[in-house]
This record gives sequence, structure tokens and C-alpha cells, in this order.
Amino acid sequence: MSVPRWLADRIGWTGVEASLTGRVVSRHGFVFYLGGITLFLLLVQVASGILLTLYYQPDAALAHASVERIVGEVSYGDLVHGVHVWAADLFVASLLLHLFTVVVRGSFRSPQELSWVSGIFLLVLGIVQAFTGAVLPWSERAYTQARIGSEFARFVPFIGGWLHRFMRGGEDVTANTLAHAFGFHVAVLPAAATMVVAAHLFLLTRRPPRKAETLSGPTIPLYPDFFVRLSIAMTGVTVVVLSLAIFVERPIGPPADPRLPSLGALPPWYFLPVHTIVRAAPKELLGFDGPSFLVGAASVIGVVMLALPFIDRRGSRLTAWLAWVALLALIFLSIRAIT
Amino acid sequence: MSDNDDRKEVPRRDFLNVAIGGSAAALAVAGGYPVVRYLEPPPSQSKGAVRVGELDKFPVGSVRTVLVNERPVLIVRSAQEVRAFSAVCSHLQCVVAYSPERKQIECPCHGGVYSIDGRNLAGPPPRPLEELAVTIDEGVLLVSPTG
Repeated sequence: MSVPRWLADRIGWTGVEASLTGRVVSRHGFVFYLGGITLFLLLVQVASGILLTLYYQPDAALAHASVERIVGEVSYGDLVHGVHVWAADLFVASLLLHLFTVVVRGSFRSPQELSWVSGIFLLVLGIVQAFTGAVLPWSERAYTQARIGSEFARFVPFIGGWLHRFMRGGEDVTANTLAHAFGFHVAVLPAAATMVVAAHLFLLTRRPPRKAETLSGPTIPLYPDFFVRLSIAMTGVTVVVLSLAIFVERPIGPPADPRLPSLGALPPWYFLPVHTIVRAAPKELLGFDGPSFLVGAASVIGVVMLALPFIDRRGSRLTAWLAWVALLALIFLSIRAIT
Repeated sequence: MSDNDDRKEVPRRDFLNVAIGGSAAALAVAGGYPVVRYLEPPPSQSKGAVRVGELDKFPVGSVRTVLVNERPVLIVRSAQEVRAFSAVCSHLQCVVAYSPERKQIECPCHGGVYSIDGRNLAGPPPRPLEELAVTIDEGVLLVSPTG
């Protein structure tokens, strides 16, 4: 009995096969390529992250030395660490690009609201994952980031006080904060992300297949043509990640010492716009103190983003135009931060 | 049971749905309550003053950073007195430091500036540095972690 036949009797394989072969995607479907690349980078993160946990010690007194040991002594440890750090940056970048193309092409519109909502949750999970990961080496820079990042939680409306204490594991940034970051980075967030990614992909297969005539521009079959192209793109991403990991060092920096003044160092690149705004914001805005106003504004933007397919049901030009304005503004603010 | 004959019949399925749903909700509350309470970190244990060292280690005119229960604290000694300030910026909680050249306390993260007595002078900080109570016991300096 052939393998497809055997599987057909057990898991209804013909249905799975039909849902793949019956579909077409736009040949220039950047949304799909970026989604696939983001998923691929996530898998790279899971694999390299599991390897790192074998030597990493989540203890404020030992963490920094254990990361140095991974990079300096463990065979290929520098490669595993480099891949994890670089792929994390590329993961956030491809997540943001994926979001951008979805907004510009109006791919959030009905009937894909649930794909969009699950995607926004993945964006938040991804950024928190990158942030908690940056805390783990417990370097001076990681310690400063933990201080500033957790402080923002205090200004979240309603639950701020609780969230602030919860993120720090107490009143102040201590060894408990590192333990919390570790638990979230390796258990809570990956578990949550696995479930939401599964939902995100499941929703793709459940929506009605799109007919070629409803897509503008040339189309290709999802399988095998699109999968072959995506595999080529993944190979390219692998080459980029390995090259960066091998040739561009990501120094860990000195260990955290709460007695030393915080480093004036910049936050991770995806928080550069926030850094510029925080530095320039006045002490008081519309009757709120600066950080309260910023976190409040970010919360409002978050809610609007989540509700976007229900606010703009057709994927209007205005939304695409706003996305371009937002992108240019974020690039401008990032450049301001480093100059 | 003739007096119960006019009561409304509850279909078996509806009854089971309510029973299963109710049991699940009760289990979720019973299991969830301890979890939510567990997530709230306990308050820090030591409320009493902490020894930070002998007074001789803090010469007149010096500003040093020490740790009090893992928190950075600035010890400022002038000719008249010894004062202690939390070395945590009132803006976004970076660790501040004394600049001997400019005779002021500075936050490296977002450019906040404080005077030597903790007042916020420039930049984003909305409040002065928190001052902590200092006691001197037989030549040993003690700092209270809270106010």
C-alpha cells in the first residue's frame, strides 16, 4: 500500500493534499514569503535556543559567566550563540515587514480578521520574547534594559502596579527579575507562541481557497511552485544568518553591577524610536506625566491595530498610506536616536 | 408526588451542559486562585536598617555608591552631614552616578541631572531622588531601605 493511501485511511491525507494543491497564490505574494520566512526563523530560534539552555545558568551570579563559557569554551558555542542572537534580530525584522506588507496590501480584510488578530498577538509575543532574551546574559546592558523595560509596565493603565511588580519579581530589579525573564523566555512565551502560531496557520488552511480570477496579477500554485520558491528564500536566509553569526561578533559586554551607573547605551534597534521619544518628551503632556502619556498612547495604538479589520473592512488606500507614513516616521525616529 | 407534576421539565442535555460547565468553572476558579496569588511576588523581607560600612570609608566630600538589599544607594558625605539617596533615576529607573567634574548627579540613559542634594535640575526626571534615612551607630553607617 502506498504511503499516501496508508495515511488517507488514517488521517484523511487526501483532504490535506487537496487543501494544498487546490490553491494558488499571487506570484508576488510578499505576504506569504515573509510569513514563511518568519516561521522559519522562529524554528531556528527554537532549535538554537534549546541548545543554549544546555549550558546557560539562570542565576544572577552565574548567568554572565555561563554565556561567556558558551561563547568561549563550548565547541561551536560561539556559532550557536551568534545564530540565536542574529536570528532574533532578523526574526523581529521579518515579523515587522510581514505586518507592514499585510497592512499595505489590505490582507487583513474580511474574511481574514482572525488571521490578523492572531498575527498581532504573535507580534507582541515576538517582541517580548526578544526583550526577555536580551536580559538573560545579565550583562550591564541587560540589567539596564531590564530596569527601563520593566519600569514602563508601571504606567500601563489599571494593571500597571501589579504588572510592574510581577515583571520584576518584586519591588526592584534583582536576581528574581532574571529568574522571571528566564521562565518567560523558555517556557511561558514559547508555549503561548506555539499555540498562536498553530492557530495562525490553521486559519490559513480553513479559509475558502482563493480562485485565480480573484487575485490581481500572475498567480502560481501554492504547491509545489510556491513551496519551492519559499525553500530557496529559506536557504538564502540561512546563508545570511550563518554569515552574520560567523563573521559579525555580538559582544556580551561586562557583567551587571548595580553599583555602576547605567550604560547610556542604546536599546535594541526595534526600540530606537521609543528611545528618541522618551528622551525628547516633555515632563507633562495633556496633564499626564511623560511616560504615562506614552504608554497610554501605545495602548490606544495597540487596540486600534487589533481592531483594524473591523474599523477598515475593505483595506482602504488610507490605511496603506498611513502604514507608509508610520514606517517613514519610525525610520526617522530611529536615525535620530543614533545620531 | 402529585404536587410536583406541574413543574417545568429540564431536558437531560441542558442539565448535563450546566453541570459540566459549572464543574469546569469551579475547577478553574479553585485552581486559578492560588496561581494568581502565586504570581504576586512577596514583599521584600528586611525592613530594618542595613549596615553599609564604617564611616571612615566615606571621607568628607565623597560620593559613593553602595548596595542596600541589591538596590544601589548613593552615600553623600559633606562636612556637616551624611545623606543617602536611592541611586535610581525618578524618570525610568536607570542607575545614576555622581560626576566629580561637574559636581552633580547624572543619569546616563536619558540625560537627567540632579544636584548633590538629590533635587532634579534638568532633563526628564519628574521628581528628586528618594532620600533614605541614615543612622550612625558606633562609627558604622546604617541605611534604611525604605524612606
